[in-house]
Formats: sequence, structure tokens, C-alpha cells
Amino acid sequence: MIDLLQINPGLWVILAGVIAALMPVGPVRKALAIGAPILAAFLIFTIYDSTEVLAGQFSVLGVELTTLRIDNLSVVWGYLFCLAGFINAVYALHEDSWITDSSALVYTGAAIAGVLSGDWLSLFLFWELTAISSVFLVWQGGAHAYAAGIRYLVIQVLSGVLLLAGAVMFAGANGGDWTFGYVGLETTGAAGWVLLIAMGIKAGFPMLHMWMQDAYPKASITGTVILASFTTKFAIYALARAFPGTDILIWIGCIMTCFPVFFAVIENDLRRVLAYSLNNQLGFMVAGIGIGSTMAMNGVVGQVFVHVIFKGLLFMSIGAVMYRVGTAKASELGGLFRSMPYTTVLCLIGAGSIAAFPLLAAFVTKAMILQAAIDAKLWIPFTMMLFASAGVMEHSGIKVPHFTFFAHDSGRRVKEAPWNMLAAMSIAAVLCIVLAWPWGGYDILYSLMPYETDYKPYTWDHVVFQLQLLFAAIFAFNVLKRFKLYPAERRAEVVDADVLYRRVGKNMAVWTDAMWTRLGARLKRGRDRATASVGRKLSQAFSPAGRMSEAAPSGLPAILTAGLLAVVLVVAYIAAA
Amino acid sequence: MSSWFISHGAAFIVILPLLMAVITALLPAVRRLAWFTALIVAVLVALVAFIVLQTQIDVGAFIYRMGGWEPPHGISLAIDAVNAPIALLIAAMAVFTLIYAEPAVDSEVQRKKRAPFYAAFLLAVAGLIGMVVTGDAFNVFVFLEVSSISTYTLVAMGANRDRRALSAAFNYLILGSIGATFFVIGIGFLYAETGTLNMADMQGILANLDGGSRAAQVGFGFVLVGLGLKLAMFPLHTWLPGAYAYSPTVVTAFLASTATKAALYLLYRFMFTVFDPSFDYVAVTLTYVVTGLAVIGMIFASLQALFQTDARRTLAYSSVAQVGYMLLGIGLISTLGLVGSYLHLINHAVVKGGLFLSLGAMWYRFGITRISDMAGLAKTMPITTAAFTVLAFSLIGVPFTAGFVSKVALAEAALERGWYWAVAVIMIASILALLYMGRMMMVAYFSPPPASAMGEDGRVVRREAPLLMLLPMVGLAVTSVLIGVRGNVYLAEVSENAARVLLPGGGL
Amino acid sequence: MSDPVTTAERDLSDIHPAARPFLFLGETKVKRNFLWLPLIGLILSSIFGVIHPSKYPAPWETIGDFVIPGSWAIFGFLAYSFIVLVAPLLFKLLARPEDYYGEGGLPDPEVSTDPAITGEAHHD
Repeated sequence: MIDLLQINPGLWVILAGVIAALMPVGPVRKALAIGAPILAAFLIFTIYDSTEVLAGQFSVLGVELTTLRIDNLSVVWGYLFCLAGFINAVYALHEDSWITDSSALVYTGAAIAGVLSGDWLSLFLFWELTAISSVFLVWQGGAHAYAAGIRYLVIQVLSGVLLLAGAVMFAGANGGDWTFGYVGLETTGAAGWVLLIAMGIKAGFPMLHMWMQDAYPKASITGTVILASFTTKFAIYALARAFPGTDILIWIGCIMTCFPVFFAVIENDLRRVLAYSLNNQLGFMVAGIGIGSTMAMNGVVGQVFVHVIFKGLLFMSIGAVMYRVGTAKASELGGLFRSMPYTTVLCLIGAGSIAAFPLLAAFVTKAMILQAAIDAKLWIPFTMMLFASAGVMEHSGIKVPHFTFFAHDSGRRVKEAPWNMLAAMSIAAVLCIVLAWPWGGYDILYSLMPYETDYKPYTWDHVVFQLQLLFAAIFAFNVLKRFKLYPAERRAEVVDADVLYRRVGKNMAVWTDAMWTRLGARLKRGRDRATASVGRKLSQAFSPAGRMSEAAPSGLPAILTAGLLAVVLVVAYIAAA
Repeated sequence: MSSWFISHGAAFIVILPLLMAVITALLPAVRRLAWFTALIVAVLVALVAFIVLQTQIDVGAFIYRMGGWEPPHGISLAIDAVNAPIALLIAAMAVFTLIYAEPAVDSEVQRKKRAPFYAAFLLAVAGLIGMVVTGDAFNVFVFLEVSSISTYTLVAMGANRDRRALSAAFNYLILGSIGATFFVIGIGFLYAETGTLNMADMQGILANLDGGSRAAQVGFGFVLVGLGLKLAMFPLHTWLPGAYAYSPTVVTAFLASTATKAALYLLYRFMFTVFDPSFDYVAVTLTYVVTGLAVIGMIFASLQALFQTDARRTLAYSSVAQVGYMLLGIGLISTLGLVGSYLHLINHAVVKGGLFLSLGAMWYRFGITRISDMAGLAKTMPITTAAFTVLAFSLIGVPFTAGFVSKVALAEAALERGWYWAVAVIMIASILALLYMGRMMMVAYFSPPPASAMGEDGRVVRREAPLLMLLPMVGLAVTSVLIGVRGNVYLAEVSENAARVLLPGGGL
Repeated sequence: MSDPVTTAERDLSDIHPAARPFLFLGETKVKRNFLWLPLIGLILSSIFGVIHPSKYPAPWETIGDFVIPGSWAIFGFLAYSFIVLVAPLLFKLLARPEDYYGEGGLPDPEVSTDPAITGEAHHD
């Protein structure tokens, strides 16, 4: 009998997903979707005893596996993913789709199991499982999401393949130790870089990020919310585990915070704006991991935790709007506070949280990352992140709520969001406030952080300077609006790095294919003509169907054989001489 | 009785099918009689091959002297850890394909040609096993020709189904003969150099001469290229797609899983135990020429597979790519590399044999040859498609399937030599395999079945393959998963023993 | 929707009850004068910033030993303006027609209320 507590809690959630896939009764599936994350959280709570717990060890193919590791880092992600799985399940209650239910459960479970696994091989397995299970959520978006789903799948699977390759190289260099732990770049050579790129793809490093902005806005309404919760945060966990204090991550992270800001301004599809915003938030985390001090790592862990909540809240509110209106394009929306006041308030709480208003979630955690940069005297990264904070205010803090709920009245009068969406958003909104509450609230967050901390976020100077930044941004918005300098929302497809493969690469492939076909035809014609005189009699003799010309021994293989013999002889001659 | 098999089993597994081939050819055209005879023979051969393998494991390498004549003058059969498993593999694949053959041959070969068909099949089995177990270099050539000539005939019998089989067989005949000729010329040079045809003797003499003179080097070149043609080493593979695509299903499956594998075995035998990688010219040729061609072949043939419209041609080109993997293992010249190569040889025989069998079942029911025709097969032939899917996963190298085990072994071997680029190539080729196999599965799973597959009431009608076809397919699919899950227990040991025999020094 | 009711009646009837007290937020006057709210906050927080100076001023927040008052406000204003002002330029560089990739993306005529298909702005 296997001890049930030796089993990775994520596997139960995956099992629930498999059952849901076979379950024709809708309410049972919904019960599984809500119950499984709660069960997993309870199991994590039971197993974890505030020291590192290793369990589920066995060896396969000579590789020692540790399928369950709960320590002060992974436990945070474990709880977080359970919480996110629960909120997402509530949000999806209205949707009767067994594909969404089952793939969301498998995806959630894979993410939980992934962060709780202690060796590279299990990590790789769940890394791929998150990719494969989640692509169905993209495809749920309808026919136009199909190609994006394929691209998503290819890129995600590529990331997994790279991860496996890197892990094989890394474990090989480490004398067959497959424990998933610190990697770094100094001593690991190519293995470290391969692993960094594998994680970088999933974490949305600049130029490796496009799958996110490509696939997320095309998924179904609930699909986008679920997708945004796990994949990238799983990658952040892997980075935090394998590359803390790696200098290059500071710069990668800072670039990641800045570049999406510009795209988010001109993008019209609000779900895509939020995907850029997500990318920008990941930048803060990556930069924090790069700094790697205890303050920074605490900040990263806290930031991940609250980020999943408030980013989920924003995606949920835009999802609710889309559910009622049918589109999430800024040019089509406006003035919706008249019909959806509750959603408006909840969205504003999310927007305030992401912009790090005092009393709202990111205020504490983002400050810790910035403080870590200040402590390390990293002034340029600090300034870049501050710049990006102003950018966050622009796209998530102002643009998303303003163009959806206020601005010009689009004249749409729709119903308020369904009760379950409001419930899910309310849970998230309450958490946003609670986790930043100055009187004991953020201590909950501190208790989850891997290191002891006594950082005090609510100091006069911090509150005041943060307010300066935010008020200045809002003021600038109003001034620019007043002078008609703020660009209007316009319908367009904004090209990003994905143009390289969606347009340039595709055209090249099409061109190559055409050229290949033409060249092949030309070559065949030439060869046919050359061999025709000799080969015609043979072909007629040996092919009653008269199709000899296609597969007849044209002499080319024979020449190749002779040529290869010559090569081998020359090589052997030189080698022996 | 069993002690008789232990002492004479090695000869039995060659001579029984050889003799029975003659008898089968003369059998009257009674329904199923020829098939039944051939099947019984194959089962017997497989059983005895298993006994031989067990004997080899128990007592180690041993030599069977034909007629009691001592080598080097007499003809001997030399059984060791390298060829005993391959002999069993050939015999077992013969059993699998012959079970399948009853319905398949019934629909693909004319009635009056059925007895000769099974006779030729047995002859091919005899030739393949013979060239694997013999210890005499000239004997290798003889059995090579026995198996080749019978295969030319078998391929040509596909003409009843598709006339192009004739031209493919002719093409195969010309190139196969060139290969055999090269091989025998190489043996001639070696004979001139060493004065013996016994392979163990050749090894000793060549080692004493430290690789020998120019004559040995020329012999080496001819043997390598001749075998390269037989095992479809890129770019000498041009005979293969046609031969695989147009011959009867049973023949394709059997050829794909055994013929190139036997030739590859000979390459192991000659490169490592007749010649030796400690000779400079062998090491350099293996490292640069064979590895280079292996790598180019993996990529190029995979790309060609990607652009085929005919499902069997796709698999045929994939075979060329997979041969590249095995050659890469050889080119590494290390124990680990040979382990990977040997594992991949066995796995690929199982996988590709099973894939061709499933495609054959699809043809049997729906006349499918093109990928685009595979639409909706998941609904019309669920079991066949499931077996096909499992085997395709194995070919791609999904974890817990056979392909994963051997690809990881090869990647590890490449890492051991520090050949990171080779790992990259393995991955690229695997991704390409994902694409070309995925293309078929996409069609099979996601395209709606054609209107002709619908019943009166508009529902899809299931038309699963007959039981005799399903058994071997599912058997091979299950085998591939078993290897993937438990491959470390048994197969890895077999491969390591083989690699140790081939490279006692552990390579470069 | 088509029943003939007066404008005033309909305005209220299809507005969510919880939103009725807040309809003033949509008035042009309120929107235009909203500007002053952040300005006041800006000025107040800058004054407080002088009283409670930053413990760790960045190099760009000081000229010699003199700490610029409202430094984050100035930074925020400039950063925000920069982001918005380069947007039209970026738009020219990066924007393509909505069906650029040939994967759909045009507005759904079922739900779209866009007055012009040419991409005219309709926000104020």
C-alpha cells in the first residue's frame, strides 16, 4: 500500500480532470472543479511541516526521481495555484463545457504537480502536460483560435523539449543527479543557457514572448482567465528555483517590464492589452529573481501571489464584459458602468491593485522588489522599473477600465455579469484588499515568504512618493486627453515579434515550397530528358503500366554509390597515411 | 529433444525455413495450406531462436561447426550476444507478419501465386537469419543474395495491387545487386589480404597487421558502401521508398523491420569485429563519413517524409531517417553509442513493422494509400488507429514508449562524447517526426469520415480490421509500450552485452 | 427595446439600479473637470514629499545635494507623456489591417456598433 500522502497533490487534481473528461453530468464536473483544488490545498497543508518535505521517491531508467518536494518556496506556488484553481472554477460555473472543465482541471493539476515536483524529469513531464492540456482552452475560443493554438502548442512543446535537453546535459554534468535545484550560469556552460531559454520561453522573455499575446486573447472567455493563471507563473517558479541572483535576468526583466508598455498603448483588443500587461508584470518578477537578495526573492514570491489574484481579477472583469457584449475591443466599448456597475467597481479594484495604489495588493510587493534594486544600488534597472510602473498605470490602471466602463458611451445596455462571475471577482477583490491591509493584512503575505522579513511598506515617504507617481500619471492622462493628444482607439492588428514566423517565416516557407516544387519539376524534366534515350527501351520492357519513368533506375543512385565509395577510399587513404 | 535444439538450434533455424521453402512452393493451391505451413515454420524457428538466445545467455558465445568441419576450413555458425537477439527478432517479426498475412495476402496476391509467395517469404527468412548467424564472410554474401533475390520477388508480387511494384522491384534489384557486388568485391580484397574467409580469423590477422595494407583499406571501403546500400544509408536509400510503398503490406512490414536491420547487423559485425575502430582509417571514416551521412540523412529524409502524400512513402522515408539514428550510434564509436544504436534497431523494428501493418489494415478496409484519405479513421477503425497512434508516439519518442528509451540512450551517448550538436539533430529529427506523424493523426482524428463510410442513418459505420490483422498490430503496439516502460530491465542488458562484445575496449 | 417611451424614461429603465446614482460620471462637465482631482492629489503629495523626503533618493532625484521636490511626480508625468506621445508613431510603424494574418479578427457584425468600418475614432 502506498502512503497516500506520498503522492503529489497535483495528481489528484489531474485525476479529477480525467474523471471530468468522462463525466456527462454537468453539476458533478463543477463539483470536481471546485472540490479538487480545495482537496489539494488541504493535502499540501497536511503534508507540509515548515521544513523541506521530500516524498514519492523512486527510480526509473536509473534516474532517481523525487516526485514530491514541498519546501518554503514551492509551498507558496502550491497554495497559490489551488486558490487560483478554485477562483477560476467559480468563474466558470455558468459554462457548460466538458472540454473546459476537464482541461482546466488537468492543467491546474499539472501546474500544481509541476511546482511540487523535485526532479527534472517530473518537472519536464508536468511542464509538457500544462502545455498539452491548456491548448484545448485556446481552441475553445472558436475557429479563429485554431492556428494560434497550434502555434501556442508548438512553442510550448519546444520549451519542454529544450528543458529536457538542458536537464539531461545538466544532470550528466552533475554525475547523474536529477534533483531540480540551483543551476546558475557560471559553471554550467551550455546546459544552463538551454535551461534558461526553455524557462524563458514559458516566462515570456523579450522576443520569446509572442505566444502569450497571440494565444491568450483568442481563447474562450473562461479559457483566458485560466490560462493567465498558471503557465507563466510556473515558469517564474522554475526561474526562482534555478536562477536566483543571475545578473542577466535583471536586464532581461527590466526590458520585459518596459517594452510591453508601448504595445499596450496602441493595442485595441483589451484582452491583448492585458496579456501585454501580464508580460510587463512578469518582468518585475524576473528582475527580482535576477537581483536575488532575500528582499528581492521575498518581493518576487509576494508579487507572484498577488499578481495571480489581481491579474485574474482584471481578466475576469474584461471576460464578464465580453460575455455580455460579445467583444473586448476598446473601439467597440465604453460607458458600460451604466449597465455593469458591480463589475466596474471590481475592475477598478483590480486596476488599482496592479498599479500599486496604497491599500491595494501590489503596493507592498512591488515596493519590495524596487527596494531590493535600491539596496543593490542598481539605479538604471530601478529607473526602468519605475518607468514601467508609470506604464502599468497607463495600460492597466487607466486604459482598461476607462475605455471599457467610462469614456464615450457606446450606447450598449447589457445585463450585469452572472452571479458566479461576480462571486469569483469578489473573492479576488477582497483578497487584493486584505493582502495589502496595513493593520495585519500583509503579514499573511509575509508568512508565506521564504525568508523572514520586517519590511515596512506603509512609511510616509513610500506612500507619498508612490502617490506622486500615480497622481502624476492620472493628471498626465487628463491633460493629454484635454489637448487631444491621447491617441484614439483604432482598430488594427499590431504586429510584434510574431511577424517573424507568422508572416515572414510563413511567406518564406510558402516561397521555398513553390521554388522546391518548381525546382523539383525542372530537375525531373532535365533528368528525364537525359535518361530518356537510354532508359526508354528498358522502361517499356519492364513496366507494362508504362510508369517506369517515375521510379526507373536513372543511374543516379549508382553514381552516388560509386561516389561514396570514392569518398570512403580517399578518407581511409588519408587517415591511414 | 531440447538438448538437441541447444546443440543444433543454430543450424536448425537456417535450414528449416530453407527446406520448407521448397516444399511450400510445391504445395497445392488448397485454401490456407501454404499460409499455415509457413506460419508453423516461422513459429518453430522463433521458438528455436529463443532457445538459441537462452543458450547464448547461459553459456556465452559459441560456434556451431557445419558437418563437424573445424573452422577456418569448414563453414561455421558463430552465435554471440550480438546476433542471437537479432536472429530472434527476425524470427519473431516473421511470426507477427505471417499471422497478419492470411487476410492481407488473400486480398493482395493472386490465388495461384500464393504458394510461391509463402515460399519466397520463407526463403527470405532463411536468408536473413543465415546472414546474421553465419561466421563465414562468403557465406554472408550467399545468404545476402538468398534473402535479396527472394525479396525482389516478394516486392514484385505487389503488382497485383499496384503496377508500380514492378518498376520498384526492378529498381531494388539493380541497386541491391550493386550493393551485393560491392560487398563481395570487398570480401575478395579481404581474402587477398588475409587468406581466410572466416570472420574471426580475419579479425585476428587484420589485428596482427595493424589494419593491414591498402588492399584491406580498399576492401573496407567496398564492404562499407555495399552494406550502406543494403541498409539504406543516406544517400544510397533511393531504392527503399518505392520498394516499401508498392510491395504487399506483409512484405513491407517484414522488410522494414528485418532486412535493413540484418544489413545493419553486418555493419556492426564488420566495422567492430572484423575491422576495428583502433585502425585509423576505420575510426576516421566512422567519425566523419558515417556520422556525417547519418546526420544529413536524419534531417533530409525526415524532411522528405514530411512532403510525401502517400502514407507508406512517408513511413519509408522515416525509415531512412531512423537508420540515421542507428548509424549515429555507430559513428560515436563508444559503448554507450552502440547500446543506443542497438536499442534503436530493435525498437524501430517493432515500431515500423507495426506501423506498416496498421497502414495495411487501412488499405485492406478502405483502400487507403494517401494521407488525405485517412480522414475519420479514428471513428471507422478505432482499434487500428489506436495501435497506429501508440506506435507513432513511439516513433516520435514520447516518454513511456520504445522510441523514447533509445533516443534518450543515443542522446546520452552523444553527450558523453560532448557532441551537443548531435543531441540537437536528434531533437530536430524528433520534431520533424512529430510533424509528419502528427499530420497523419490529425487527419485520422479530426477530419470527418468520407460520406462513403456513413451508414444509411448518417452514422459512422465501424469497419474494424479482421482479428488476424488486429492481433499482431496490437501485439506490436503493446510491445513498444512495454519496452518503453520496462525496457531498462531486459532490453538494456541485451544491448549492453552486444555493445560489450562489439567494443570490448569501450571505444575511443 | 422598440416600445415608444420617452428618452428620460428609457434612460433610467435600462440603467442598472446600482448605477443610477452615479450617472453624473458620464456628464461632459464632470469629465472635463475631473482633471483637477489628480492635480490636487499631485500637489498635496509633492508637499508631503518635501516634509517626508525619500530615504534613498536615486541619482536623478538630486542636483548636487539638493533634492528636487516632487521628483516622482515629474518622473511620472514625463514617463506617462512619453509613452502616450510615441504611441502614434509606433502605431504607424506596427499597425496593420485587422485581417493582416488572414485569421479573422474583423469586427463581428452581430455585435459591432462601430459606425465606420474605416477605423474612425469614436471615443471623445
